[in-house]
Amino acid sequence: MEHWVYCFQILGHKLYVNLDTVFTMWFAMICLIIFAFIATRKLSLIPGKLQALCEKIMGLLWGTMDSMMPADNRKHVPLVASLFLFILFANLMGQLPLRIIHLKTGELASPTNDINLTAAMAVIVLIYYVGAGIAKKGPKFFLHNFSFVSIVKALVELLEMVTRPLSLAIRLFANIFAGEILVSIALAASAYFAPIPVMLFEILVAFIQATVFMMLTIAYIGSAVEDEH
Amino acid sequence: MENLAQLGAGIAIGFGAIGAGLGIGVATKGLMDAVSRQPEVAGKAFGFFLLGAALAEACALYAFVIAFQLLGK
Repeated sequence: MEHWVYCFQILGHKLYVNLDTVFTMWFAMICLIIFAFIATRKLSLIPGKLQALCEKIMGLLWGTMDSMMPADNRKHVPLVASLFLFILFANLMGQLPLRIIHLKTGELASPTNDINLTAAMAVIVLIYYVGAGIAKKGPKFFLHNFSFVSIVKALVELLEMVTRPLSLAIRLFANIFAGEILVSIALAASAYFAPIPVMLFEILVAFIQATVFMMLTIAYIGSAVEDEH
Repeated sequence: MENLAQLGAGIAIGFGAIGAGLGIGVATKGLMDAVSRQPEVAGKAFGFFLLGAALAEACALYAFVIAFQLLGK
């Protein structure tokens, strides 16, 4: 899968921008912003259909957070909820017939099939949970009681700071990307009919991957801010 | 060299799929055990099963990414 690469120079450095990812990302974000804007007009005590749906979504998120992070979890809701909704919108966008808009190279599909986007989100999660840990515990976040075990533990935690965002990024990217490859293989086998079950499966994968990303984010934040035993 | 890269891609995705298959199999076994022992937890257990299966499946997809890199896009 090629992308529509745009190259420009700043101070002699070449910078490459995947324009198709940027377009589809903004499309997903604008959809989400319009959805949130419409849903939060005219809030009433007796909710309408849209408000009831949104309250259901927030109730689901709060239930997940309560079950995974017992204390003081409401301040992490903005990041977790926006990550979940954005990834969900972005994944589901891949099933829209956006490919009929023809680009020079590449195609308009879900923005999460580009590793640059998922890696950026994973790095945001890394910065956020380290920041949350420092805000909660101060410099004690990096320090443990000295013993032989704690040296090994510190090395493992250092390694985790690399592997956690790496696995977050590659998991989301590879799932969506493999789904698109699968659809194209099914399309080559028998056009119009074979891709339909695969695309239905991709809708399931979109929901599962958004949930997995959200739950791992909650687990990482939870492990950063929890008290040591 | 081209042919060796294709062979490597095949081996990579094959061995990756072994691990993911074992993982999803164990997860399904756990779900079946839990549901047959206590049928009322079926809905809740299925949610956790999907999550665990997605995490196990991700290992095969890491291999898929490596294989795709080997094929040279």
